Amino acid sequence: MKLPILTIVMTTIFTGTMLTMISSHWLLIWIGLEINMLSIIPILTKNQKPRSTEAATKYFLTQATASMLLMFTIVFNAMHSGQWTTTNIDPNNMIVSLTMIIALTMKLGMTPFHFWVPEVTQGVSLMTGMLLLTWQKLAPISIMMQMFTSINSIILLLIALMSVLVGGWGGLNQTQLRKILAYSSIAHMGWMMAILTFCPSLTMLNLLIYLMLTIIMFTMLNMNTNTTTLTLSNLWNKSPTITMMILISLLSLGGLPPLTGFLPKWVIIQELTKNNNIAMATVMAIMALLNLYFYMRLIYSTSLTLFPTPNNIKMKWQFQPKKRSLFLSPLIILSTLTLPLSPVFSTLN
Amino acid sequence: MVYAIFLLSIILVLSFMSFSSKPSPIYGGVGLIISGAVGCSIIMGFGVSFMGLMVFLIYLGGMLVVFGYTTAMATEEYPETWGSSIVIWGALLSGILMELLLMVWLLEHDGMEVAVGFNKLESWIMFMDKGFSIIREDSLGVSALYNYVNWFMVAAGWALFVSVLIVIEVIRGK
Repeated sequence: MKLPILTIVMTTIFTGTMLTMISSHWLLIWIGLEINMLSIIPILTKNQKPRSTEAATKYFLTQATASMLLMFTIVFNAMHSGQWTTTNIDPNNMIVSLTMIIALTMKLGMTPFHFWVPEVTQGVSLMTGMLLLTWQKLAPISIMMQMFTSINSIILLLIALMSVLVGGWGGLNQTQLRKILAYSSIAHMGWMMAILTFCPSLTMLNLLIYLMLTIIMFTMLNMNTNTTTLTLSNLWNKSPTITMMILISLLSLGGLPPLTGFLPKWVIIQELTKNNNIAMATVMAIMALLNLYFYMRLIYSTSLTLFPTPNNIKMKWQFQPKKRSLFLSPLIILSTLTLPLSPVFSTLN
Repeated sequence: MVYAIFLLSIILVLSFMSFSSKPSPIYGGVGLIISGAVGCSIIMGFGVSFMGLMVFLIYLGGMLVVFGYTTAMATEEYPETWGSSIVIWGALLSGILMELLLMVWLLEHDGMEVAVGFNKLESWIMFMDKGFSIIREDSLGVSALYNYVNWFMVAAGWALFVSVLIVIEVIRGK
């Protein structure tokens, strides 16, 4: 892609999300989402292959459907309540609150509408997939954060529970890394939405940690362009340090105690228990084990075993890596070692 | 008037099914043109003349003409019509069946207000400026929007520009 076009497109992606985040009028929020969705399309089709065109088409169709549903809800809400403010959705109006949740969860890729997430992520390149699973979540989540008081919480909890289940279940038999990360994204969205109606600042915390972890996972995979478990298992003779870091980051993504990824799961379970929602917390904690299982499979093939594959280039580690990432090491430290900072978050409320 | 709207609604649904049951693009375009024209007439029938006219001019006048030209250039020698395959007939029939079931369900549950209750489409809203005024929603609402939010023009113009740029960027190739 030519540089001026790339600049304009990236600026527009940024502007669309920002427009959605700063506005409190439904029309502007919808316009921001539309601008953002439209300008991600050339990024998705950057390496012009049929697979990425297909991914872009799938992404466009689902997001356009979600936008249309959102517009329908906005108009319906305006007809019934006579105003366009974001926070004033009537929670008792079943049509409005239901279709609003459906539209936003479709944008986020949560469970009844999650099928596009692995397909689209698998169809695009690693860095574009990172953009898709991180930046594109910001705008819908910011809408959710603005209107969380008027969300029908039972339906949202159901969607969140199903997302955690499907995010764990779907990734079980996968060997494609981008699909695995897409399913992990679905599961994390489930955790975020489960806590939204109880304590939205925890949604924000979980989002931040999820963003950091996803960014470093995609960056590390991109350094040697790993897209399958097989290439990941040959990583030890290219960059041994990266295998170690993938191990730590995957354990953090799965939420093991001494690492940062444990923090959101810990406080979310605590908050759910405080709200007498013990069954939900238990079921979600059990379902997170499914996630942990396929992270463990990745860890096993990355750094805990030597696959019986022919290996003619054992000395590859002594060459300098071509791709470098400036923020990799601080992000790895932030996303794995900041659990001792957890008392800070109690002052945020 | 009610009968006219009812007739137009039936044509609208049938034309929607005609293009969604996927014959060749050139016949799909026919279905799109019919549905666009009929949809605009329905909206105009409810009294929202400005919006109906705008959609008619832009959708049919601009977009579908270009669509028609491109499909006419890309068309095959024997384009597939609705009658050429049992699958398309099945899709059409199941669409009609679905619509009938929806109608029955709406009638059973008194839901017709949701489906066809467009009573509030053309109405007068009041807003407070330096004075106090009552405007018609569809035509004067647009000018009121740009009167209050000047920079909205910039946002809308930017969105249109970017969409053209993106379409060209996606299709131009290497």
